[in-house]
Amino acid sequence: MKYQMTLDYTIPFGDLQPYFDALRDGQALASKCDSCGIVAFPARTNCASCRDASMQWTPLTGTAHVLFRTDANGGSYALVKFDGADTTSTVALKNPENNTTIGTLVAPIGDAPGLWLTLIDTENEEHDGH
Amino acid sequence: MISNVSFAGGAMTPFNRRKDGSSFRDWARAAVQGALDDAGLEARDIDALIVASESDFFTMQLNPAALLADECGLIGVAAKRVEGGGASGHLAVHAGVAEVASGMACRVLVLGVEPSASHLKGADVGALYGLSFDAWTDGMTGIDSTSLYALSAQAFMARTGATLDDFARIAVRNRAHARMNANAHLPLDVSLDEVAASPVVASPYRRLDCSPLSDGAAAIILANASDLPARAQGRARFRAAVSAVDAVRLGERQDAGFFGGKQRAAQRAYEIAGVTAAEIGLAEVYDSYSGAQLQSLEALGFADVIAAERDGAFTAQGAMPVNLSGGLLGQGAPVGATGVAQVLTAALQLEGRYFGQQATHAPRYALVDTHGGIATLNAISILEAP
Repeated sequence: MKYQMTLDYTIPFGDLQPYFDALRDGQALASKCDSCGIVAFPARTNCASCRDASMQWTPLTGTAHVLFRTDANGGSYALVKFDGADTTSTVALKNPENNTTIGTLVAPIGDAPGLWLTLIDTENEEHDGH
Repeated sequence: MISNVSFAGGAMTPFNRRKDGSSFRDWARAAVQGALDDAGLEARDIDALIVASESDFFTMQLNPAALLADECGLIGVAAKRVEGGGASGHLAVHAGVAEVASGMACRVLVLGVEPSASHLKGADVGALYGLSFDAWTDGMTGIDSTSLYALSAQAFMARTGATLDDFARIAVRNRAHARMNANAHLPLDVSLDEVAASPVVASPYRRLDCSPLSDGAAAIILANASDLPARAQGRARFRAAVSAVDAVRLGERQDAGFFGGKQRAAQRAYEIAGVTAAEIGLAEVYDSYSGAQLQSLEALGFADVIAAERDGAFTAQGAMPVNLSGGLLGQGAPVGATGVAQVLTAALQLEGRYFGQQATHAPRYALVDTHGGIATLNAISILEAP
């Protein structure tokens, strides 16, 4: 038989709502552990290092360095380190035709609150900066 | 050490993409009847059923344990379902081991089943698998399983010097092992060049580096040997059944290429079993991707795995044969059934009854390794020959 079911979820993000609100605006909002100071991005509700549950919000610049990237049928993704974060993050690459290794967080593409990175031309950045 | 839990018998259906109109209920009944026959038991001898099924989205059946107990004629038994992503089947085996070891049940039937291939389109299955990680971060970003494994494999390669040739050799060898296994999904005769020429799925992984989506079922019976008939005496015994988790997000691990949760589970398993990695004579390892086999072997504590792989240590003739069933790459991966079939393979190998490629040197101990996520939830068992 053929059977089709459409599901329409409403998902509250609870204590992580500020992280997702910032992400929707293209802003990187990390969590910082009150106890050991580890900065996690994506944000967490407890510390992955010392397990303390007392966290503060801390904004990041949104700039990230690519550690590894993969080009897949459905898109390109990377493991990146955001400046100011102690953890690394998996992101989707908005402009995978660019092979540079520095990017900036941008507002998610589509309805899903994913992490999207625009790769930037570092040579031009450095030239412009001088 | 676990000392009173025996493998009493087991059976599996072929793993493949069903096109014959049969249903997962049919496969479950076949696997269960095969396991009962192998153990010399009747359905009325079973007092507990543990079902492994990863997702109701595949079966379109909530509460599958009750449904499958009914389907298999196991009226009145205790029943439950166990889920842990890719490790679901193996975790169900662990639940069965615990029930026998604790005296909660005498004869436990563990049934793994999954229609991973035939019920949904591949893209839909891929989208569901994308929720196997952190659904709010990785899932919402749209990153799929193969891409996450590809990133982890790159980190592993950068640290260890493993090469794509090493990965391809595994993809070729496991498919060759599958050619000896009548139940295998991909019994392929492929070359290193064919692996390298297959289409890129997520760089560096190509199609032949990836395990397939499969349909199928597997069932095993666990019991204290004193509760078994003569036919099921002298079978493999469990020595350890351990699981451990790692950070769910790949980016929060100290080394994205190292399976730390698996290492913790393995270390505990060796300690409980009272054996060392060097004493393991055979392993069924979770090779969802070719590189993941090497990453797993590293975490399981086998020495110098890159050199060992190149020296042939993991072949049927080697010191520690790996995935003689074909593994996920060759035998296939109907998720709930995968770990149950891995344990079945290891037990039959230890008993000298395995139906496929056998190890040249009869092992005393076999290790079974399964994981969910990207080695996020890790299940390890160590079994001993009778």
